[in-house]
Amino acid sequence: MPDPVTPERIAALAAAARVPLAEGAAARIAGAVTPTVARYAAENIALPLETEPSSFLVVQMKDATR
Amino acid sequence: MSDIAEMNLKDLAAAIKRRKVSSVEVTKALLARIDQWQPALNAFARVEAEDALKAAKAADRALAAGKAKGPLHGVPVAHKDMYYSKGKLAECGSKIRKGWIAPATATAVERLEAAGTFRLGAVNMVEFAYGPTGHNVHTDNVRNPWDQTRITGGSSSGSGSAVAARLVPFALGSDTGGSIRMPAHFCGTSGFKSTNGRVSRANAMPLSFTLDTVGPLAQTAEDCAIVLSVIAGPDPLDPTTALAPKWDGKAMKRSAKGMTIGIPKSFYVDDLEPDVAKAFDEAIAVFKKLGVKVIQVELPDQVMVAAAALIVLAVEAATYHAPWLRTRPDDYGAQVRNRLQNGLAYGAVEYLEALRWRAHALEAHLAAIGKCDAVLAPASRAVASTLAETDVAGANNAEAIIQGITRFMRPVNYLGLPALVVPAGFGQHRMPIGLQLIGRPFNDETVAALGIAFQGATDFHQKVPVLT
Repeated sequence: MPDPVTPERIAALAAAARVPLAEGAAARIAGAVTPTVARYAAENIALPLETEPSSFLVVQMKDATR
Repeated sequence: MSDIAEMNLKDLAAAIKRRKVSSVEVTKALLARIDQWQPALNAFARVEAEDALKAAKAADRALAAGKAKGPLHGVPVAHKDMYYSKGKLAECGSKIRKGWIAPATATAVERLEAAGTFRLGAVNMVEFAYGPTGHNVHTDNVRNPWDQTRITGGSSSGSGSAVAARLVPFALGSDTGGSIRMPAHFCGTSGFKSTNGRVSRANAMPLSFTLDTVGPLAQTAEDCAIVLSVIAGPDPLDPTTALAPKWDGKAMKRSAKGMTIGIPKSFYVDDLEPDVAKAFDEAIAVFKKLGVKVIQVELPDQVMVAAAALIVLAVEAATYHAPWLRTRPDDYGAQVRNRLQNGLAYGAVEYLEALRWRAHALEAHLAAIGKCDAVLAPASRAVASTLAETDVAGANNAEAIIQGITRFMRPVNYLGLPALVVPAGFGQHRMPIGLQLIGRPFNDETVAALGIAFQGATDFHQKVPVLT
């Protein structure tokens, strides 16, 4: 099980994006995103090195012209 | 002639073309119906009656002179208030864009106008299209014509409500996480999310550049297909459409007999309310009667697909809105601001990994469905909840209810697939139930053909709510 998302991580990411958060917002966000982050991390995604976002279009078109 | 306002798009366009009814008569009939329903529904953001009547008169004159514009000549429409029309307001359901005048016209709207439609006004939506229920603290909530205490679904709330109440023959919506399909399900209309890359998003308000799609809500699957036949295809203003094939009208008219649909063994059939499960079983029986081969399929883990979708959506939405989150955070409604701020929580590697994984996820999906032409699945586990029980500002378990009713949406967006919601029954509280036909990439026409066949054998799409 990956580590839960902490309010400190949220506060740091928001600061990096230069977005101010109201008091308590970091904790709320941490609670809201933890299930998604945990499920995603558990997948341990390991893709072929050559995969890029536009590889999606290749799969799309390959099926469309099958 | 029966009530003009209740005619579907195909019949209405044909009646205008044959001059059985004038565009002015149609416009007046719709305006009268809007006058009746608008106080109850709040479906319209703006009604532009005077301009619409002028446009209708011009359309009638052009037709009389043998100068019909195209297949939708003289048809009045109103789209989600995020489709730009040059010189017109496009407030996107927000305080931040209150009074904002669009500098250009959306390609989809331009194509519809070239086919002969004109603007009746604009319909309401969830603030910046970022919410699944239809609540909006700035414009007030849009209400469901079948029961005005219940949600329309979002974010194309006004499109769903207006089409269901027969205030417009069709309306464009947008679908980034279910925003066409949920209102179609909850309001009892047809709604078509096109394949990502099939319809230009140029000059429509963006939410997620990876996941945004444009599509119609209309009475019937055929009406949706007619709209897509006009708006689909490459557009230099939207490079994601570079590979988009033109609409294949013949493929749309294929018989469903001999096609194959897959029924998911899990996820989409888990935890359904009994009325939805019953409608689903009955729809399967209808397809079998139509000569469609029905097989069971085991789809890859849809919870993981939905998680990846959520990361992509959340980060891209937060990126678009970062300037206003920095300077005007209090001008968002609390629900939308919270959702936007959630997108700050993901790291760059998580986000880019989610984009890279998309190709793998689509390959796995296609392998799982084999030769199926489409997958049939419920659009939601339940009928529309009440506005009160899904109000995150008031109800204690609102988020849990919302998660439950929206969970069948996001995988389709992440996989970029076409999906059509068709009305398939009525359940608890006499509320509509919709099912989604999820197709293969760029096979929107096949999905349309299956929907048209289903509606040829059922009449749920013909039911009209009554104003009480």
